Amino acid sequence: MEFVAQTILNAVILSSFYALVAVGLTLVFGVMKIVNFAHGEFYMLGAYTVWVLFAVNGWPYFATVVLAIVLVGLLGVACERLVFRPLRGNLLSGFIASVGLVFVLQVAVGRIWGVGKMKPVPAPYRGDVVSVGGVSVDVQRIIAFVGAVVLVALLLLFLNRSRTGRALRASSQDVEAAELQGISVNRAAVVAMLLGSAMAGAAGALMAPIMSVYPYMGGLVVWMAFVIVIVGGQGNIKGAIYAALMFGFLNTIITTVWDSTIAALVIAVFMLVFLAVRPQGLLGHAE
Amino acid sequence: MAVLELQGLRKQFGELVAVDNVDMKVEEGEIRGLIGPNGSGKTTIFNCITGFLHPTGGKVIWQGEDITGEPPHVVAGKGIARTFQLTNLFRDMTALQNVVMACHLHTGVGLFGQFLMTRRTKKRDGEIEERAIELLETMGIGEVKDEVAGALPHGHQEALGVAMALATEPKLLLLDEPVTGMNPSETKDMMERIRRLRDSGVTILLVEHDMKAVMSTCERLTVMNFGRNICEGDPNGVCSHEEVIEAYLGMS
Amino acid sequence: MRNSRTIVLIVLVALAIVAVLVPYVSSYYYTDVITMLFINIILVSSFRLITLTGNWNLAQVPLMGAGAYSSALITGSLGWPFWLSLPLSAIAAAVIGLAMSYPLARTKGFAFFIASYAAGEAMVLCWTRFKVPFGGWTGLVNVPPPGDIGGISFADPTPYYFLTGIIMAACLWVMYRLARSRIGATFHAIHSQESLARSIGINITRYKMLVFVVSSFFAGVAGVLLVHRMWAVEPNQFGWVPTLYLLVWAVFGGTRTFVGPILGVTVLTVIGELLVPLAEWVPMIYGFILILTLLFFPEGLEGIPHRVQSWFGKTRTRTAAPGEVLSEGQLTEGQH
Repeated sequence: MEFVAQTILNAVILSSFYALVAVGLTLVFGVMKIVNFAHGEFYMLGAYTVWVLFAVNGWPYFATVVLAIVLVGLLGVACERLVFRPLRGNLLSGFIASVGLVFVLQVAVGRIWGVGKMKPVPAPYRGDVVSVGGVSVDVQRIIAFVGAVVLVALLLLFLNRSRTGRALRASSQDVEAAELQGISVNRAAVVAMLLGSAMAGAAGALMAPIMSVYPYMGGLVVWMAFVIVIVGGQGNIKGAIYAALMFGFLNTIITTVWDSTIAALVIAVFMLVFLAVRPQGLLGHAE
Repeated sequence: MAVLELQGLRKQFGELVAVDNVDMKVEEGEIRGLIGPNGSGKTTIFNCITGFLHPTGGKVIWQGEDITGEPPHVVAGKGIARTFQLTNLFRDMTALQNVVMACHLHTGVGLFGQFLMTRRTKKRDGEIEERAIELLETMGIGEVKDEVAGALPHGHQEALGVAMALATEPKLLLLDEPVTGMNPSETKDMMERIRRLRDSGVTILLVEHDMKAVMSTCERLTVMNFGRNICEGDPNGVCSHEEVIEAYLGMS
Repeated sequence: MRNSRTIVLIVLVALAIVAVLVPYVSSYYYTDVITMLFINIILVSSFRLITLTGNWNLAQVPLMGAGAYSSALITGSLGWPFWLSLPLSAIAAAVIGLAMSYPLARTKGFAFFIASYAAGEAMVLCWTRFKVPFGGWTGLVNVPPPGDIGGISFADPTPYYFLTGIIMAACLWVMYRLARSRIGATFHAIHSQESLARSIGINITRYKMLVFVVSSFFAGVAGVLLVHRMWAVEPNQFGWVPTLYLLVWAVFGGTRTFVGPILGVTVLTVIGELLVPLAEWVPMIYGFILILTLLFFPEGLEGIPHRVQSWFGKTRTRTAAPGEVLSEGQLTEGQH
């Protein structure tokens, strides 16, 4: 019984993490119609920011998290201007270009801080563990969970309540109509990229004390995020959150019963079947 | 004998009913016109017949066989060919290459034959090319056979579209606005060719807005409005029908 | 036309002569590099076949792996000779390609791209996960080189070089003939106007599956040549890094012509060799090359003569960048 509860708890925490990463990618996809495979590298850079500033230089943890969010967000904006804007509209080319970015960022980080070794980031709360009735979780994970939920909630609030947020949603649904209403596509793209990348950076920063930090840590994360974005309806934020929950649970259960490779295998097959069975194309909801 | 029959054909897109319970019979060897205001469902019917759309309800019966929902390449194999409203061509190939591609249906494209370029394959390729040239000449565009399709003037492109449809050796030819954008002399030319096609044994179902062309060539008309078949009959009779006048007045 | 034919023939003969001389004027290391280049040329040409239908197949490298693993198992575990294993393994790769093509034929464009990645990834994960029979993470070792012929040992780099070169030439000839045949023209037709192709009776699904199977066959050949050079195989060789390299070759060289991707892989291999002292930076350099190519000359290397022509005012129709289908966009009413 406790085993089940523990598994559910693990799944929920994993889902929150997936949601944070996937929601950012969804936003970028929805507004810019571009899949940024370097989203995983933004995640990685968020983690590295925390490692460099907190673990190595001793800055306060939460400050470094905030800094990570800001820096990665700005990097995202730079990428949008330089790489994605000229390729807007061409899904395949944008994706391939983002793959180029992956290479660039991974090697850059690897050259500066070294490749093979995992960077340990000490937990700011020294591995405190909370136990309730046989189910335990370390405080760091609770912090990450809370951080993820808060950020996703803030994003939803922003998209639904603020004017810029609503403009983003309009751009995501129908670019031409949005432009007719005076919404600048360029500005929407910048905001989307800023927020989306920042989310990825936040995820990296929050997870840094929990996971191993190394240049290639973004690879698995981005594939999972990608799967979630597609299954969640490509640009549909709420859908992405539901999909994140589903895959968080799926992944946790399969990994617990078998192992993570089997989980990855199941998800790959699932993607193949999902894409084959869906009658509509990858872009757009119904055609 | 009715060679094509639509029974209660219906096509809905969500809330929008594009084709609303249409019954229609096309007799073998006739030239039937399908007319009506824009959006009355004519092209949708074409798409349902040829398998580009799945009807929401009803049946398409071709030569006694129920072909409802069969995919386009199967329908083509059964002898129904079509042209497209916005002329569809393989733009970077020559006119001849376009028609040769369309002759594909009735020639086995042998994989190994193509590799080895056996004498038999060469001979067959030669025969296909001859037939393609014949088809181009039937449509009056023999001289431009080596021109790139995308560079041809509009009238020639339409003719090429028809030539390609003919290459599949159809018994029924669905023509979607074949003379739109043509000047009167080109129109007269095309309609004359269409008559000759019918005389050679092809049943024709024609969608067209050019009333003069329709009246002079079609033996019977089916008039559509709001997805429904509102009237059928010979051109003169149909013109005096109340609903038809309303439909066209409403549109003009 | 006569002139260009003669020029092409002269170039080919010159290349052949150079190729024959290579092992005698350079070290084992470079002979080996060119052997790898030959293998990659087969791979990238097999990839290009599928791009004729407008699809970019991210399972290409895993399919090469299918050929490699098959041959490792056939020659290693079963002990059958290489000469039998080569066709069998290529066929095995083709069969796996056939199985994949069933779900993949229902997707196109970007969905195909991602679905093919998922399919390839699933295969690689199987090899990683199942120690029996694939050897798991560490893969399979003790894969024998091809058996001796008349005293020539294919464990040596030079004979293996010639073996690979000859097989490559044969593969390229077949793929070239296919692309230029009516079947190749049909692939192109499917890519340029799918609805029209359907309406004239072309069974799109069957053709897509055909090109996938043929492409997988040749990817399998490349895999067999790879594994019998390395005498070992592991799943890492077929992961996303080599797939990304394949993409860079294709984008950099261009896929519109048969020779484009070959140019791409050759030039990039040469650059890679020149940059050996900077080996850790190479992926980053590839990344920059990829981005710059997409931004500034999306047609790739093969587009350069055309670019030069347009500078001199002789403009022609624009070729498509990856992901663009020009003709379709100009014709269909509602372009998505």
